[in-house]
Amino acid sequence: MARWALISGLRGDLEAYEAIQEDLRHTRRVDTLFVLGDVIGPARNCDALLSRLQQPRRGELRPQCLYGWWEDQLLAERGYRGGRRADALRLSQGETAVDALLQAVDPGHMGWLAELQFGFIELDCALLHGSSATVEDSLGPDSSPLLLLDRLTRMEVNRLFTARSGQQFSIELTGGGIESQVRDLEGQRHQQQSVPKRQVIGIGAGVHYTIYDPGTDRFDFLAAGSRSQERARGFA
Amino acid sequence: MAHAVISCLHANHAALEAVLADIDQQGIDTITCLGDLVGYGPQPNEVVELIRQRAIPTCQGCWDEDIIEGLNACDCSYPSQLAERRGHLAHQWTADQLSEENKDFLANLPMSLRRDRLLFVHGSPNSQHEYLLPNMDAFAALERVETAEADTLFCGHTHHPYVRELRDGSIRVRVQEGVASGGPSEEREINLPVRRIINAGSVGEPRHGNTNATYVIHDEQTGTVEIREVAYDVERTCRAIVESGLPAIFAWRLRHGFEYAERADDASHVCER
Repeated sequence: MARWALISGLRGDLEAYEAIQEDLRHTRRVDTLFVLGDVIGPARNCDALLSRLQQPRRGELRPQCLYGWWEDQLLAERGYRGGRRADALRLSQGETAVDALLQAVDPGHMGWLAELQFGFIELDCALLHGSSATVEDSLGPDSSPLLLLDRLTRMEVNRLFTARSGQQFSIELTGGGIESQVRDLEGQRHQQQSVPKRQVIGIGAGVHYTIYDPGTDRFDFLAAGSRSQERARGFA
Repeated sequence: MAHAVISCLHANHAALEAVLADIDQQGIDTITCLGDLVGYGPQPNEVVELIRQRAIPTCQGCWDEDIIEGLNACDCSYPSQLAERRGHLAHQWTADQLSEENKDFLANLPMSLRRDRLLFVHGSPNSQHEYLLPNMDAFAALERVETAEADTLFCGHTHHPYVRELRDGSIRVRVQEGVASGGPSEEREINLPVRRIINAGSVGEPRHGNTNATYVIHDEQTGTVEIREVAYDVERTCRAIVESGLPAIFAWRLRHGFEYAERADDASHVCER
């Protein structure tokens, strides 16, 4: 089975995208490229990267894209989210950041951005920008295991790939359980439940990306330009 | 101190009067209402006005929200298309009947109420539309209480009263940061706190299998919870439903105490809108 490349957080950085594509050209058996959002951001003009994602060059993997937090803020500010505006961005970074985001993306790209999905389900994996709860959910190595289990349970998947924190990490739920006692008008019931073996994987951001092999359940955290390291870890 | 929690009144004035009389008989003067004052039933103004008159702290239910905001919940709120059509009829009828003053009262209800480590919500801390059913995944149930920073979560929405205690929980994890499969990792184990979910059932539209209104009495000092059933004049409300032109199935449901063929398929689903 071929492998997946998962990237996020490019924020308009076409050079980082090209570096990853260059890496992928030299990494055998990667047949699917998932972009888990935040392809735009306020720091630079994003039009060239957006055009490239929509029109890949010959020989490049065609990316399958989701919307991330920055796309969600732009879509809200441009009226694609009902009455909601880019309130979270406005609150955290001020009006200047909202203006910069509007300037960074040509309105001609809005149709494409508006059609991006919240998440993908592939095999028993959820591919999301934040989590199954919300696009802004930032899961990381210090997140509560209870919260991670909830986010996995909501989508009934065994693995959740997330990008919002920008970190590369893996958290495996390996054991544990809970007891529950319910009393209602019919009487009392006792239940025991074990923690299912599940996993949350942070894929990184920018030039930091992840290769996942669904056939072997192996993942590798890479930085574009570090192909020799990946080979050293055993991928053939 | 013992306090009473009521929920899901659903414009059933006879049931509300009976429950309030029962609470008064217990000598309890602290009452909290978990919303859904209106919807399905024939006396929305009377019920809202009685809650206002008694100055009962109330949080906003899904019906209270939808009457003000319009029917903007996704179709997760209804378990079938038939139920959705009937719900829309009841919505329109209720919106037409409610006075502007009472609509304004519903519009200004808070999403939740908190007293120390007790949290009061209609559905869940996430949404007025989320069902916390008694058999939902125990970890997900605990997450709702823990994330809301409560010891005890009072909810309604399911119309099925219950007390659920979650205890002796633990989760073991293996954490890797920045290294590939098989690389160095750190093992951690967390012990989960004991938490409770108390569902107050429904005053105005019971679905637990008989016609009695239900509510709960909680004693903060002893931790005891009593699920109370109160008989009321069901026929009076049923007649009013039929006379008002609301779907007759609403009267049928009250006479039988359950929601025919209407059970949420996915209780864990959170309405995204």
